Amino acid sequence: MQAQINQVTNDVIVTESLGKSVLSSEGLLHILSSIDLIIKSGESIAIVGESGSGKSTLISLLAGLDTPSSGAIYLNGKSITLMDEDGRATLRNELIGFVFQSFQLLPGLTALENVMLPLELRGDKTAKTAATALLHRVGLAQRLSHTPKQLSGGEQQRVALARAFVTRPAILFADEPTGNLDSKTGATIIELLFELNQEHQTTLILVTHDHALAARCQRILQLEAGRLV
Amino acid sequence: MSRFTLALRLLWRDSRSGELTLLILALLIAVSSSTAIALFSDRLQRTMSHQAAELLGADLVIASPEVIAPQWLEQAKQLNLTTARTAEFPSVLIEHDELLLASIKAISDTYPLRGFLKTRDGDAGTETIAYHGPEPGTAWLDKRILSALKLKLGDILTVGEKPLLVTKVITYEPDKKGDFFSFSPRVMINDLDLSATGVIQPGSQVHYYFQFIGADSALVTYKNWLKPQLNPSQRVMDSQDNRPELSSALNRAERYLGLSSILVILIAGVAIAMASTRYTERHFNATALLRCLGLKQREILWLYSSQFMVLGLIASALGSGLGYGAQVGLFYILRELLPQPIAMPSLGSLFFGFIIGMVVLLGFALPPLLRLKQVSALRVLRRELEPRQPAVWLVYGLALSLISVLIWKYTHDLKMTASILGVGFITLMVLGLLMMGLLTLMHKRLEGMSLLWRLALQGLLRNHRASISQILAFSITLVAMLLSFNVRNDIITDWQQQLPKDAPNHFALNIFPNQVQDFKAELKQLHITGSEFYPVVKGRLTAINDQTVQKRASKDSQGDNAIHRDLSLTSAADLPNENKLQAGEWWLNSPPGLVSVEQKLAESLTIKVGDSLTFTVASQQFHATVANIRSLRWDTMKPNFYMVFSPGSLDAYPSTFITSFYLAESQKELLNTLVKKYPSTTILEVDLILQQFKTLLTQLTQAINFLLYFALMAGFMVLLAAVYATLDQRIYEGALMRTLGASRRLLRTAQFIEFSVLGLMSGVLAVVISEFMLLALYTQVLHISYHPRFYLWLLVPVTNAVLICVVGCWGVRQVLNKPPLQVLRAL
Ligand SMILES: Nc1ncnc2c1ncn2[C@@H]1O[C@H](COP(=O)(O)OP(=O)(O)OP(=O)(O)O)[C@@H](O)[C@H]1O
Ligand SMILES: [Mg+2]
Repeated sequence: MQAQINQVTNDVIVTESLGKSVLSSEGLLHILSSIDLIIKSGESIAIVGESGSGKSTLISLLAGLDTPSSGAIYLNGKSITLMDEDGRATLRNELIGFVFQSFQLLPGLTALENVMLPLELRGDKTAKTAATALLHRVGLAQRLSHTPKQLSGGEQQRVALARAFVTRPAILFADEPTGNLDSKTGATIIELLFELNQEHQTTLILVTHDHALAARCQRILQLEAGRLV
Repeated sequence: MSRFTLALRLLWRDSRSGELTLLILALLIAVSSSTAIALFSDRLQRTMSHQAAELLGADLVIASPEVIAPQWLEQAKQLNLTTARTAEFPSVLIEHDELLLASIKAISDTYPLRGFLKTRDGDAGTETIAYHGPEPGTAWLDKRILSALKLKLGDILTVGEKPLLVTKVITYEPDKKGDFFSFSPRVMINDLDLSATGVIQPGSQVHYYFQFIGADSALVTYKNWLKPQLNPSQRVMDSQDNRPELSSALNRAERYLGLSSILVILIAGVAIAMASTRYTERHFNATALLRCLGLKQREILWLYSSQFMVLGLIASALGSGLGYGAQVGLFYILRELLPQPIAMPSLGSLFFGFIIGMVVLLGFALPPLLRLKQVSALRVLRRELEPRQPAVWLVYGLALSLISVLIWKYTHDLKMTASILGVGFITLMVLGLLMMGLLTLMHKRLEGMSLLWRLALQGLLRNHRASISQILAFSITLVAMLLSFNVRNDIITDWQQQLPKDAPNHFALNIFPNQVQDFKAELKQLHITGSEFYPVVKGRLTAINDQTVQKRASKDSQGDNAIHRDLSLTSAADLPNENKLQAGEWWLNSPPGLVSVEQKLAESLTIKVGDSLTFTVASQQFHATVANIRSLRWDTMKPNFYMVFSPGSLDAYPSTFITSFYLAESQKELLNTLVKKYPSTTILEVDLILQQFKTLLTQLTQAINFLLYFALMAGFMVLLAAVYATLDQRIYEGALMRTLGASRRLLRTAQFIEFSVLGLMSGVLAVVISEFMLLALYTQVLHISYHPRFYLWLLVPVTNAVLICVVGCWGVRQVLNKPPLQVLRAL
């Protein structure tokens, strides 16, 4: 019932008293507790908080990379907590794009092939054109056939950006995308990220330590010891 | 389809990585050796099948002690089968006051159905081929009969009560049974004369062979129709299940080659498993990303397994081709042992190697690969998340079942398969634990050692399991090589040493009683030293204490062999030299009717002193009481007998004499004198037999070593796989060490020590194991003397260490060659 309403009201992500705890040697460790969130389509959200406050954990739950210990998550109205791993995999491919702190490109593939990859996984025949276009867009027209090893960190992150947007995802998750880059390169990456986000009308969920960056988002979520404040 | 192109692209991008190259090489080795063996045994079996029809003289034969029911022949006619009949029986021939036991064969008009006869029209005549037997009223004879009975072509020979005209000398018949020594000379007559001989009486020792040829399907129908109606004394033989036995040497060769190829598969499999484990680990991150991008578990598995399939197909196809070549090599090595011509291989066995390739890949590479399915998408954020280890039963289960099936295929013997598996498993466990202990001990001692040695041994101690795999792979291969090399050499030298300088080196068989005095005198005159002359009567052991012998013997035992053929029976007043009494007393002036039995045969048939044995000689029966049991050495080059009777026991039967004597190299031409003077006597040159035996052993061991080289190559694949598994770590550590000021020489020396230790350990282990096995084999089974070979104790470990050093140092060359800056910046 809830799901139907969300769909109509254009809520892309809804969580209900989301919690994550793990069993450690010192007993049950609550990483996240009672997170209630509603994120609308096209919104840009910054998640900030101290190291260890649970930011990465939160977005890994929202993206369906991990399962919560309690509560529920709805993506586009569908409860992902009820899905199995393969169901979530399909959802990720259809709905979600990722940018990581550590780029996460396949070392064996060229820049072009890395960007084509998510489209090819869908069986999209236009993969090559779309990927080439996006690599042009991120300024890597000359580097299509280079492997990650031959690219600098900033260039690698551009490839990762292109890969994230090439599927035109509804939601983009970015976990400290500039964490491994110097501030100048980081700034250009962020510009690019926001531009692409604008162009594609993507819902952006960005984890960052950078308050200036967070301020560019429409909404800031502050995490403290696993709770939203 | 686009998934498959993705798989191909990923494969192409990965193709330069060392572990895939290794995987292909290891697979190539496994496939080519098993293809070679499959082709080899297939061609051998088919050759035998082709010869079988000719050796049977037909496609299907019913052997029966009496004439078969007429409706059986009627049924054969209905099925459009062509029939021939032969009847064989022993009979004593008497001409010109000479006695001779001959084997009479009466043949129907249609004989021979398959193959042909060869005859001569006299001593000097040329051989002619005949597709029919003698006409009624005539007989064809073995040449030996002519000289023994002082007959010539055109004379009359009386078989039983029937006089027959001798028209031809027979030199070859297709369906001749029995081996060289047990042949009685042949008289071939027409079936229509059979009853006139009057030899066939109730109870006489006749074998009827009803032979059939026709369409394959009709033969199968007939055989199935026939089988339920046979009585216990009747047998059906066809070229399928009644191929002639491979000579036991060839049979063993096939078995050992098969088992060696399993060794190759096993070692190559370890290399494949190690390479794919490494491949899997290197692909955890990529997999996590693919999962993150939405690939399902099933699709991940498909993505990677399809890459492996492509690899498998390529390697298996190439391997079958290489195997074909290797098989040609095997036939070349064994050319003198093999019957000619060799049949062409079937496509099926070429395909077998191909299938083996895919199955080996599946068995050894799939379990590590399955881990990729378990990689969590969350790993993109948490690098420390490792997928679960695959279940132990899966890893070992697949490989073990593959190996078991293969062992069974080559042995066709469940008990043997189980015991090879059991002994193999226990040996591997014990050796593995032993090595584990050694490595742990080394680990404990590491602290006190110099930097160089710590660096060196670290390589071995990094991954105990990988080090143990390498040591075992090399030592097992070396053990196999050492065994085949040593056993061959020692058997030959032991035999040559055992034989006294003037041990008899010639046998003379078929000396007629009236020639014995002459022959003895002749030898004496020529200054040739000979052994005793023993009378030989061909006879069969038929019952023990009135129980038929068939009930006593277990299949394929020594006893079983002995009761299915004629034995050479002899009589003697004294215990033959080099025989030892084991039970009972030797006779002194005892009456006829006592017999002395050879120990092994007695054991096999559970014959005891005091038992009553029944023998059949030329359809006459007689009894003898067991007086004692003797042991003897068969390799003394003197006439040896299973059954020795008290003097007088065999006087009622026609006999020939046998003796052995020594001829020095310089006396060889005296042989001609003897052969000319006694044309019916067969003289065997032991030198030639020994020489043949030596060639046989040499060729067999060469063939087995040929395969062991494959095993050795597979061993190097294991070494390289282990090196590659730690290569990144080694390169990183090497770069770091050099950044911190270590010289390349230090690192190189450390590598050198590491691989030398590996080589020495496996070499020493191999020598120790092989010496123990040789000791056991020589003292328990072969009964030849054992000496430790100290030069091997040095030679094997050192050679092994050098080889492993060369390959190992080549494998880690990047550690020294990569500039450290480049390595560290890349991290
Ligand atoms: N599987 C796990 N087992 C134990 N502890 C975990 C696990 N996953 C997360 N944690 C803990 O939960 C807390 C939150 O981790 P998380 O990675 O979400 O923090 P973060 O806010 O992303 O930190 P950072 O800014 O450093 O990236 C940390 O203390 C972490 O150690
Ligand atoms: Mg984090």
